Amino acid sequence: MSVHRKHEFEVAMTCEGCSGAITRILNKMGDVKFEIDLPKKLVWIESDKDVDVLMTALQKSGKEVKYNGTK
Amino acid sequence: RSLCSVSLGVEGMTCGSCVQSIEQRIGSLPGVMYIKVSLEGKNATVLFDPSHQSPESLSEAIEDMGFESSLPASSK
Repeated sequence: MSVHRKHEFEVAMTCEGCSGAITRILNKMGDVKFEIDLPKKLVWIESDKDVDVLMTALQKSGKEVKYNGTK
Repeated sequence: RSLCSVSLGVEGMTCGSCVQSIEQRIGSLPGVMYIKVSLEGKNATVLFDPSHQSPESLSEAIEDMGFESSLPASSK
């Protein structure tokens, strides 16, 4: 088993439509485990993929994305 | 050069900020002249240059953003 690192991203989500869009984007990627905290605008992603790849995917939503580092 | 207009179904938007991000992102694609997204109508009306975009490519771009998009039945 590989060790997945947990990355924290801050995404400018304002409603359930926003978090739903992020959910669908991440689901499409496959091989990622994630949690979304809408009130805190945070997305935690556990994946072996590069941060850049995750970042690009999140930015596809058209929202502002900030990387907060691994937790 | 003539422009085309298409009305795409969009599912999953719940607020004005969803609408805005779609209008901004799709509106900035090459060949897109005008876009109007309706939250109540759950659709996006796009005026585009057919040499750069097609209803399929626009629908794909919306799907890429994490929304479900459907082509109008008449275009099939």
